[in-house]
Amino acid sequence: MSDSDPRQDRLLRLNAALDDELDAAHRVELERELERDPQLRASLRRLSAVREAVRRHGAPEAAPASLHNAVAAIGRPKAQRWRVPLPLAAAIAAGIVIGAAAQALLFPSGAGDPVAVAVVADFARGELSNQPFDVASSDRHTVKPWLVAHAPLGVEVVDLADKGYPLAGGRIAVVGVTPVPTLVYQRREHWIALTELPLSLGGGALAAREGTLDGFRLVRWADRERGYVAVSDIDAVELSAFVAAFRAAAGTGGGEGR
Amino acid sequence: MISDAARRRYQAIVPPHVDDAYALARWLCGDPADAEDIVQDAALRALTALETANVEQPRAWFLRVVRNTALTWMAKNRSKLLAFAGGADDLAEIESVDLTAEGESPEALLIAAEDGERVRRALAALPPPLREALVLREINGLAYREIAEATETPIGTVMSRLARGRAALAKMLEDKQ
Repeated sequence: MSDSDPRQDRLLRLNAALDDELDAAHRVELERELERDPQLRASLRRLSAVREAVRRHGAPEAAPASLHNAVAAIGRPKAQRWRVPLPLAAAIAAGIVIGAAAQALLFPSGAGDPVAVAVVADFARGELSNQPFDVASSDRHTVKPWLVAHAPLGVEVVDLADKGYPLAGGRIAVVGVTPVPTLVYQRREHWIALTELPLSLGGGALAAREGTLDGFRLVRWADRERGYVAVSDIDAVELSAFVAAFRAAAGTGGGEGR
Repeated sequence: MISDAARRRYQAIVPPHVDDAYALARWLCGDPADAEDIVQDAALRALTALETANVEQPRAWFLRVVRNTALTWMAKNRSKLLAFAGGADDLAEIESVDLTAEGESPEALLIAAEDGERVRRALAALPPPLREALVLREINGLAYREIAEATETPIGTVMSRLARGRAALAKMLEDKQ
């Protein structure tokens, strides 16, 4: 680009003036040049004609209504997008799939593990309704009292935000007839649900065991006071990393039994 | 999982600019149905990006997403047809547009400018970076700094492309067909 060419320079400034992008000082200078120079005035008329032609003929029709609707829908939460009758159909389908998958459970404790089935069903329900928690808060001092008030079990709430798993909230899951506190952490666009179990349900094994149920991953372990199950749709490596971070922070027997 | 905050920002930034996005996508890819696909894709990308993106010029920001989506889309679907800013061939083509060249007659320009079909053909025939700058300026009505953001180009380059684009278009319209 030969920016030093004075004629090119003047044309660039002429374009900028046309676009209302020239500062006052340059504008005054250009106006003086236009008065003196008929060739520059011809150039201005020419550029104005082109500009009008593009503005008049170049604009396509407005976007179709279907596109406006599609774009607006993309911003709405899933639950709103699937109004009727999809939520019901999806919930029924998920119930059937989870029920059937219990037969093929890879969880080492064996097929039909009621804890795994219950926490995965609970997790799937949260995903479907896009409402994965009953109390939404990233503050463990808010989440803990809520959980303690709703489930008869002491609960360990740790903040893992600095490890990349901010706390999003908490909810109560039900295993059989026992309400169990569940913490919900966030990992990018995914949820990780961590359910704490009384020893009657989750005790026994101290070592972490991994499994999958209906496409969800689970990791289960226990310390001397209670059992834990983590459920998510993130991959096995990431879920293990989360479990390690939780165990380290909560001091739930990270070194024991492994 | 998309946060409520991102959804709120999306609703404020994306739906108001669908017509602009559609116009830009049409001029970049040349086909109405493809343009719809590109805008929808761009909207999805925007939603995800709004979890973290720092947006100062909403319209220019979304048009940049549309532009990048269109470039990806065209690279995938018709790599030979359109080359965009950055390639050496492209640069040579832009440089070859003489800012000071004039066509046969100024009167021919005024007559041709009345012919919508002819104007659109000429615009479509411009090298893509020049056409893109003109569309963002004249059809989307963006200021220079917004065009710079939308095309990820310095303002000096934006000015040069607009000037060259107009010069080339004027010459095409002045020349007899």
